[in-house]
Amino acid sequence: MSKTIEVTDLVKVYRNGVRAVDGISFSVDKGEIFGFLGPNGAGKSTTIKILIGLVNATEGKLLVNGIDITKHPTEIKRATGYASQETAIDDRLTAWENITLQGRYYHLSGREIRTRSEEILKMFDLYERRNDLAETFSGGMLKRLDIAEALIHQPQILFLDEPTLGLDVQTRKVIWTYIKRLREEHGMTIFLTTHYMEEADTLCDRVTIIDRGTIKAIDRPEALKEQLGGDVISVSFAGDADPADVLERIMKVPHVLAIERNGNGTHRIMVSEEGERIVPQLFTLCEKEGITIDAVSLKKASLDDVYLHYTGHAMRDSDETKETHFKARMMRGRARRK
Amino acid sequence: MTLLTDTWYVAKRELIKFLRTKVRVVVTLIQPILWLGLMGNMMGKVFDNPYVAQAMGVTNYMAFMTPGIIIMTVLFGGVFGGISIVWDRRVGYLEKLLAAPIHRGAIPFGKTLAVMIQNGIQVLAIVGIASAFGVHFETGFAGILGLMVIAMFFGAILSSISLSLAASIKTMETLMALVNFLTMPLMFTSTALFPSEAMPGWLAAIARFNPVTYAVGPIRELVIHGWDWSKILPGFAVIVGLAILLMLISQMIFQRATTD
Repeated sequence: MSKTIEVTDLVKVYRNGVRAVDGISFSVDKGEIFGFLGPNGAGKSTTIKILIGLVNATEGKLLVNGIDITKHPTEIKRATGYASQETAIDDRLTAWENITLQGRYYHLSGREIRTRSEEILKMFDLYERRNDLAETFSGGMLKRLDIAEALIHQPQILFLDEPTLGLDVQTRKVIWTYIKRLREEHGMTIFLTTHYMEEADTLCDRVTIIDRGTIKAIDRPEALKEQLGGDVISVSFAGDADPADVLERIMKVPHVLAIERNGNGTHRIMVSEEGERIVPQLFTLCEKEGITIDAVSLKKASLDDVYLHYTGHAMRDSDETKETHFKARMMRGRARRK
Repeated sequence: MTLLTDTWYVAKRELIKFLRTKVRVVVTLIQPILWLGLMGNMMGKVFDNPYVAQAMGVTNYMAFMTPGIIIMTVLFGGVFGGISIVWDRRVGYLEKLLAAPIHRGAIPFGKTLAVMIQNGIQVLAIVGIASAFGVHFETGFAGILGLMVIAMFFGAILSSISLSLAASIKTMETLMALVNFLTMPLMFTSTALFPSEAMPGWLAAIARFNPVTYAVGPIRELVIHGWDWSKILPGFAVIVGLAILLMLISQMIFQRATTD
């Protein structure tokens, strides 16, 4: 399969000294939905901004469609579409005015703009509302319009930076169906960033786990989960008891792959299969050692577990910056004004 | 060619919004009515006194004041160039523009062009209102076009200053406070509302170097006296020259601020 994006040893150090991206390498296949999964500040948006020519790379080699971004930025801009996490719609303009102006920014002819705007707005079920001011749209409609605008010049690659940030779960799923349709019906290559595990799991052919500017893992979501094993047993112990001996013996039980300790004191036991048979053994061992189990749960391994495994910390809301909260608030605010 | 068309489409967006924002259009009309109706009438009585009029060199205060109102409206409207950039950056629209293959310089130029066209519309409204208050425009339709051009270039100066400041200022509140901090003294240390003869010596000296005075001078000439090129051209040249210089500087600052 041909490579649409090839990134080698990419580094970005901002003027203030922040090393946002620290030597990452990856490639994206033609027609693939490729995801960057990580918390705010991981380097996801910076990578996208470098790939579309908004930010200059400090070091590294970047090829989009085989073209060097640093040498031919305008050519890259014509081949790529970009929808930022802010939902950059001018809400004092109508949907039609927004999309046709976007066509002008891409130097399309009036005829091309009219034909494509009609086509795209119909595809995103916004054509009937084309003459309404965008300020009357819900958050989901605004996001759809934002993605629709990014398609006006028929790009080969679509970059979506946090496409469902600030949207409710139901609207998020609606956006996912449109993203899937773009690949299925138009064979478009889609590069998206997200910090929603479910989004990465549902949409992406391959997921890159990125944390503090470095790539921790790249693979299909299923393969990433399989690497951790089939089940995860989370257990927390009561009091100050030292469960070291119990955990050492549990490690010797068949199918147990690894044991990790979370920051909150919970232990996660990765099991390849038959987790439900290991839980009683855990209770038996604890009873023998005089250790009381406070809580225990058994579940299938998720991308959350994969993320935790590779980064050593959970992707919590507290990772979100004030700016991201502002963006999410704005999205919700716009949605309320409909 | 690309720069020109890109500039126009950046400006077009602002103009659609300007004409759609009824409050701004109404305020544009109300402000000159208040100034001419209240200040013009009140001060007009003072200048009715022939001794005062002779000493100040002003016979019709309403006509004297109209160029001041025009420039004041433009002065306070210029801030919108910078505000729109701050807003676009905040909501992500600036990123969208930068991701498109448009000429980067078209963004500040387009914002300034939009301010200039808005200023032109505002000037026409003030001319209409002033005419209703009995102000006679000595140079007729051609003179009105001339004063409109001067006001528009003066607007470009203010827009370029606010755009340059907006490159490093992230909030609209800070930008507005800073621009108001600059525009208020500019207004009151000029000959926009009072002749230099009515000012103390130190203020008259400041007014002589104030760009507002250079804009008001030729407009006043066109409104009150007629086509005296020796009095119109110097001020016109200073305003146009300064506008072009500041537009180029704002473009450079913008380019630098959006490149990381």
